[in-house]
Amino acid sequence: MQLIRHAKQHLNIWAILSLVFVAVILFPNLLIGFKFFTEPNENWEHIKFYLMRDYINNTATILIFTAILTILIGTSLAWLIIMYEFPLRGFFRWGLILPLAIPPYIGAYTYHGLLNYTGVIQTTLRNTFDIQVNQSYFNIMSTQGAVFIFTLFLYPYVYTITKSFFQYQSASLIENAILLGSSPTSTFFRVALPLSRATIVGSVTLVMLEVLNDYGVVSYFGIQTFSTAIFRTWYGMKDLDSALKLAGTLMFIVIVVLILEKMLRGRKRYSYASTKVRPIHPKRLKGWKGWLLFAYSFAIFSIAFLVPLAQLLYWAFMTYETIWSQAFFQLAKNSIFVASITSTIIISIALIIANFTRMHQSLFTKLVSRVTTLGYSIPGAAIAIAIITIFISIDTFLAKWDTGIVLRTSLVMLISAYVIRFLAIGYNSVEAGFEKIGNTFTEASRLLGASTIRTFFMVDLPLMKNAIAAGFILVFVDILKELPLTLFLQPFNFATLATQAFKYANDERVQEASIASLLIILISATAIFIFHRVLEKKEAN
Amino acid sequence: MHVQIEDLTFQYRNAKTPTIKNFSLSIDKGEIISILGDSGSGKSTILRLIAGLEIPQSGTIKIDGKTILSHTHFTPPEKRGVGMVFQDYALFPHMTVAKNIMFGLRNMKKAEKLARLEEMLELINLKDFKNRYPYELSGGQQQRVALARALAPAPSLLIFDEPFSNLDASLQEKIRGELRVLLKQTGITSIFVTHDQADAKALADRIVYIKNGTIERIVSSTSLTFKVNRAKEKVLTIQ
Ligand SMILES: Nc1ncnc2c1ncn2[C@@H]1O[C@H](COP(=O)(O)OP(=O)(O)OP(=O)(O)O)[C@@H](O)[C@H]1O
Ligand SMILES: [Mg+2]
Repeated sequence: MQLIRHAKQHLNIWAILSLVFVAVILFPNLLIGFKFFTEPNENWEHIKFYLMRDYINNTATILIFTAILTILIGTSLAWLIIMYEFPLRGFFRWGLILPLAIPPYIGAYTYHGLLNYTGVIQTTLRNTFDIQVNQSYFNIMSTQGAVFIFTLFLYPYVYTITKSFFQYQSASLIENAILLGSSPTSTFFRVALPLSRATIVGSVTLVMLEVLNDYGVVSYFGIQTFSTAIFRTWYGMKDLDSALKLAGTLMFIVIVVLILEKMLRGRKRYSYASTKVRPIHPKRLKGWKGWLLFAYSFAIFSIAFLVPLAQLLYWAFMTYETIWSQAFFQLAKNSIFVASITSTIIISIALIIANFTRMHQSLFTKLVSRVTTLGYSIPGAAIAIAIITIFISIDTFLAKWDTGIVLRTSLVMLISAYVIRFLAIGYNSVEAGFEKIGNTFTEASRLLGASTIRTFFMVDLPLMKNAIAAGFILVFVDILKELPLTLFLQPFNFATLATQAFKYANDERVQEASIASLLIILISATAIFIFHRVLEKKEAN
Repeated sequence: MHVQIEDLTFQYRNAKTPTIKNFSLSIDKGEIISILGDSGSGKSTILRLIAGLEIPQSGTIKIDGKTILSHTHFTPPEKRGVGMVFQDYALFPHMTVAKNIMFGLRNMKKAEKLARLEEMLELINLKDFKNRYPYELSGGQQQRVALARALAPAPSLLIFDEPFSNLDASLQEKIRGELRVLLKQTGITSIFVTHDQADAKALADRIVYIKNGTIERIVSSTSLTFKVNRAKEKVLTIQ
């Protein structure tokens, strides 16, 4: 009896829709997991014996070195910015996040263009100083080059997350240590680092997931990794089964990374101290010490943002007459169209699921939350191959009934993949929004006779405006930058700014990729500005 | 009996022991009941159970002869006809005073709604404030709006969770008196929760003392104490 009553209470429109969405998200993952254990074909044996080692070696090398370097750069910058006052600190505080606006694949071809034989650096050295350089020093198309690129454009994850930890959550402990006579350096190693271990591990996990998701950089540099292998096995060999097995292996690596994260984090999770914590008062550094910090921050900011931006602007200046055309507007329109539609879908689904999980707090809804945010850990190439497999089956099924509908050639396939991968981002924003408004308004509304649906539209939604806008912008920007899914799954005759720029770069027409790249960077940078500058100002007041 | 609560037992999902144990209470029409107890004794939880915001493990509730909760039946909060004034008022911040008060008025013609609004504004003496937003009101004014909003749909039972805790002491006393007059005037049955003896004495017809989720005793305002039979409460009504 109890059960029936509970079921009746819980089985409403929110629950049903949530379950449907969760099943849709879970299905591709289950498919990959299932295919991993099916009977392999000859191709797979070949891949396993001759190629797998390279994939694993390259992937592991890039992962490990990128992780180490982003930790070094990210935490050192975070610490220095929080602890010291030096020239232009206020700008660097959020400026050092800006490299995140440059997707690594854009950074990759920009730096290649900058450093190769005909690039501006070598040309200047040759023509002005008459210096011939050793080409191998300037060859960026290697695993080291990939590590360089990933470090430059992904360190902001570590920087921002650790910075806000230092600032808001460990401020009093750090200040106490200093008051007790510990020097800043020893405070860093003995107090700040151990305290922030969980935070650093969490942020560097995000970096690693980005690296595993990457297709653009490794493919442009010609490095054999799982992403490129999945692509090639499907497009080159038309071997869907082996591609799925590769995706399974890649997901296995993701799971290893996530388990490592859990272990390294230690038992102590992020401690959410109260928001009233007083931020640390930075110490003013006078003279050369201040300028040294300035130089360090400026150096990172330059190579990770200014230099590539300048290069792209220069190329844009050279090519804008040919590029600035109807075709370019079509690209921009495509990008914005698909990003808007998908963001709207994602935010709607996120709202439904988040509303369901907050209405019924239980083990089951916790699981639902977990599955909803699963997609973000799964590399684009893996999602893509699973989605292709599923849509091939759907299309075969539809063909049997002579419906004349072919989903594979429509945007439906691409949008489904985006939803699975980026739902986590929308969901996190929406969930935070619900948490912020609390349950009281919702309860008050229901006690005034409003159904859950009326409550949702009249009370919850209007109060959640900001969280919804934030989630929308984050998802929008991520889709705009997205490469692997879009490359794999975009319909014939449909290209976005990202895929077209990447195609130009691959066709040795990197200059022509510049305007599309700049537009992507501009939009992402604006979003970063809004989130970090404006919001930080608000917090400060 | 207007409201009949029997054998209510409830345990929070992550709690080890029941928060409410065998809670039974009958309330007459128009009666004002006060639930008095220490912090953590389960006062708010009882209100949430009556309102339908939590689902108990067992127990039945009837209001006006209609079963709203039993072993096989659960009426959702929006269909119970129970109005609630929250501790922090929970006025919708994006709506004006007028919109807040009219929120619960449905299945009515526009003109009827407006008439009811005027009636409520009159009652709480805030006629000139109807186009203000909640943050533009003082604490006491907010509380009165919250009351008007809960009263407007004419609920069959009105419940208050610590209605005075956000007001300063002098205001508390004044509003307490006004509230009793107002409740008696509308003839509405009500339950309010407090941990302040004085509040309870000034407002209620009967005071229900609770401790650790069970009723300790029930005292009428004429100071007669009734020993409560733990398993089943048979209250002797005095009025
Ligand atoms: N959502 C919840 N989950 C688990 N336990 C809860 C929850 N809400 C309340 N409790 C616990 O149930 C008990 C009763 O809480 P309740 O809020 O009903 O007390 P109260 O009498 O209203 O106290 P106060 O006077 O402080 O408001 C407390 O021990 C509390 O910790
Ligand atoms: Mg309480």
